Amino acid sequence: MTGIRESGDRTSVDDGLQTNGQGPDGLTEEFVSEWRDSAYGCFSSGHKFCREVCPVMQVTRNENHTPTAFHANIVAMEKGHLAVEDVAEDYIHCVQCGACELRCPNTLFTGDFYRHRTRTVDVVKAMRALAVDSGVEQPNWKRWVEATMEASNEPVVEGVSQERVRDWAEGLDIPTGGETILFVDCEAAFYRTSVARATAMVLRQAGVEFGLMQEQWCCGGPAAEMGYVEHARTLAEHNLADWRSVGATRVITLDPHDYISFTVDYPNYFGDQYDIEILHITELVAELVREGKLELTQSVERVATYHDACRLNKRKGIYKSPREILHAIPGLTFKDVDHVTQWSYCSGAGGGMRIERPEIADEIARRRMEKAADLEIDTLISACVWSERPLSEQGADREPSIEVRDLMELVADAAGLDYGGVQR
Amino acid sequence: MSVVALSDSVVDELRAILGSDYVLTNKSSLFNRARVPAPFPVHRWDEHVADIAVLPETAEQVAEVVKLANTYKIPVVPRAGGTGLSDGAVPVTGGILVDVKRMNKILDIDLDDRTVTVQPGINMLKLNEELRRYGVVYPDDPASYPCSLVGGRIGTGGWSLIGARYGHTRDLVISMQVCLPTGELIEVGDGGGRKIRKSSTGFQLKQLFMGHQGSLGITTEATLELVPRPEAEFAAFFGYPDYETAYKSTGALAKSGLASLAGVVLFDEWKVNYLRRDDEAYIPQPPELRCVVAVAAYGTLAETKPASQVIMAIGKETGGNYLGDEVSQGDWASRHDRYATPLHGRTPEGQVVPMSWHCEDAAITYSALPMVREEWHAIAKRYIDDYGVFDDWGMFAYTNGAHKPWGDYLVEIDIGIWEQRLDDAMWEAWVQCKREITEVSLKYGGSITACHGSTREGDAEFVPREMGGGFDVMKKIKRVLDPNNIMNPGKNSLDEAYED
Repeated sequence: MTGIRESGDRTSVDDGLQTNGQGPDGLTEEFVSEWRDSAYGCFSSGHKFCREVCPVMQVTRNENHTPTAFHANIVAMEKGHLAVEDVAEDYIHCVQCGACELRCPNTLFTGDFYRHRTRTVDVVKAMRALAVDSGVEQPNWKRWVEATMEASNEPVVEGVSQERVRDWAEGLDIPTGGETILFVDCEAAFYRTSVARATAMVLRQAGVEFGLMQEQWCCGGPAAEMGYVEHARTLAEHNLADWRSVGATRVITLDPHDYISFTVDYPNYFGDQYDIEILHITELVAELVREGKLELTQSVERVATYHDACRLNKRKGIYKSPREILHAIPGLTFKDVDHVTQWSYCSGAGGGMRIERPEIADEIARRRMEKAADLEIDTLISACVWSERPLSEQGADREPSIEVRDLMELVADAAGLDYGGVQR
Repeated sequence: MSVVALSDSVVDELRAILGSDYVLTNKSSLFNRARVPAPFPVHRWDEHVADIAVLPETAEQVAEVVKLANTYKIPVVPRAGGTGLSDGAVPVTGGILVDVKRMNKILDIDLDDRTVTVQPGINMLKLNEELRRYGVVYPDDPASYPCSLVGGRIGTGGWSLIGARYGHTRDLVISMQVCLPTGELIEVGDGGGRKIRKSSTGFQLKQLFMGHQGSLGITTEATLELVPRPEAEFAAFFGYPDYETAYKSTGALAKSGLASLAGVVLFDEWKVNYLRRDDEAYIPQPPELRCVVAVAAYGTLAETKPASQVIMAIGKETGGNYLGDEVSQGDWASRHDRYATPLHGRTPEGQVVPMSWHCEDAAITYSALPMVREEWHAIAKRYIDDYGVFDDWGMFAYTNGAHKPWGDYLVEIDIGIWEQRLDDAMWEAWVQCKREITEVSLKYGGSITACHGSTREGDAEFVPREMGGGFDVMKKIKRVLDPNNIMNPGKNSLDEAYED
């Protein structure tokens, strides 16, 4: 047996590249050689256990949109059957929630032994990047990223600009800089400002010292998810430089998408030099409540369920801290759905789906809200501000309607804080 | 691709039937509907690609597509989950691939008469998520439970892990609507009623439309059995020092007469060795444990509690060592996807390489199990030694009879195949290996396939021999129902029906 080399835990095949007429070239060849062995781990299984847990596939029922296809396409590219322009559209159909990776038998039953996790989200990001680099762009993503680069923040509402990025904090007298920075996501800074204000006031109430950035740019995550890696990196470099310039060593995020950017993308960009501690707000607030630094005394008379944000639950395994907080809120009737059942749930807000395929995103959100309605609740609680717009739209359309609240808004209510801002 | 090329006018007619969004002609759509998890000649991928794929939403759309195909004599390949372990859903002569995944609606839940009527593209796990609130379950539970679809289960004649208690797919489907190869929609069941379980009116047509591998039509609706959601599930795993003891224990458990017995599974020494490579439930097991038997019982508490005591007593009296609650409950809970992971594959030198999975599924009588086991492993060893791209992942024997688990077994040898290394010579070697395995099944009076279907090289050519005079009847039926041989041609050796 020649051509086998050990590569970490798994074996790679050196000489497996076979072309069949129209061999891959340049960028594609590089991409295929990086991903083919990983893709083959899925291809050789082919069981498709991921299919029915995929929020997109549940809606479109198109086999091209399965995680299995995302890996198989790479094998077909290796064999020269398909080129990037043949498959780019398939990869639009992913919210990058990570459910498929968890449900993959390769993750479940070799994960313990090899520490293996099937990397479908990374494959989708890499293929989207290959498409962009090969000139196969999606019009709405291109427009979105261009607008983001122009304003340094995502165009979540009309008139987004650096001049207005701190408007949400009006009257709160939050300093600039310091050891701990609160990073306020674009959606929270410009659209649902109540989340940002509630978060800031909760932290202050608990005695956590923090400041804001001098210039907070988009985290770069959406651009990275859409395949615009260089743009994403430009935004990331600014943010890291800004943190460093004010002496920050710790960043608190209120949004799971930012949390992924800072804990997955930024370490990839900056390597060992990246030494910033990143905290998600639910982890910190759960600790503050546990240690008695934040007292939740006001009754919140609601019948609610919790929406596990994909990037917390499926990508990062954070599902305990939000529940710990919810159980500490007095008056709340909490009807929980376990986090594994929620692997197949999503709001449709991730991976650029709402921008490039809004009709699919809306249907994903509608189905999520239908599951919530089955529980006969009046409130759906989320810890992901991006999920709150599509879910609120669906909740408002229902009879009786279901209100969507951010977990930090609820915590602020329970702490007796009057935070204001725009809640929609 | 197909003998009859698809003209632009055919494509236009398909778009008129389905809407242009659901008529797929792009390469990615066709290449991604070319294979199933069974070993695949990846070096000849383009020979297994349909000319066009359609995604219908209604039975009427399916009927219109099939009528069109029959008019123009274009092959039709039905595809549901594409999770089969044989090639029923793999195009071999191009044509129109009918992908039924969009047909996933629940049409009717009847709690009075205990039926649920569904479209063929629904998955059993998803169906049961909906049924849960009513306290009922559709208990068709293959290894592919989280991903296979009802239509594929019917087309392949599926087998269920808990079939000893609840029956297999054919026992659980009460009636169906079927689109015939000429495009007519008919209803078949026991007699005429859609919700009747037993009838002597006319021929028993329902079984004819089970397990035909898409060669006689496409199921467009199915009325399924609803059973009370079991109050209790009991699973016990026993370890044994040798195959002989485990084999005898398996027989004793299967013959216990317990009505709540859902299945008995025998793991042989090769299987346990395979799991010991890197499955954390098996690595810590002591070396004297060489074989395993798993038993499960389902039902009311009144049934399963005493049944569990009987099972424990038989297991221990016949030499079994109970492996504990954690292994028993954990392994049984993960039964759908624990035992065939590509990353467990090894070359003869012990290198880890991703291998695809051949799952042999012959039906063999209890008395023949030891001989079949020895002969199959000997065949596998020869091919492993000679070619270096195969791997023996061991054998399972599962009780096979619905409600009568004592006589015959679904016998599985799992063979890993390093597809990345396949070329024509390696593929031919694999097919030859498969033929030798099949010969052994027939030699001992068994059947080639208990549930996957005889649709691929190494199986299909043996169908006439296994069926004997029955194959002539099959050919006549095929020719009458499908005069132009459009329904999934090239499967089950049924092309022979048109040779004279």
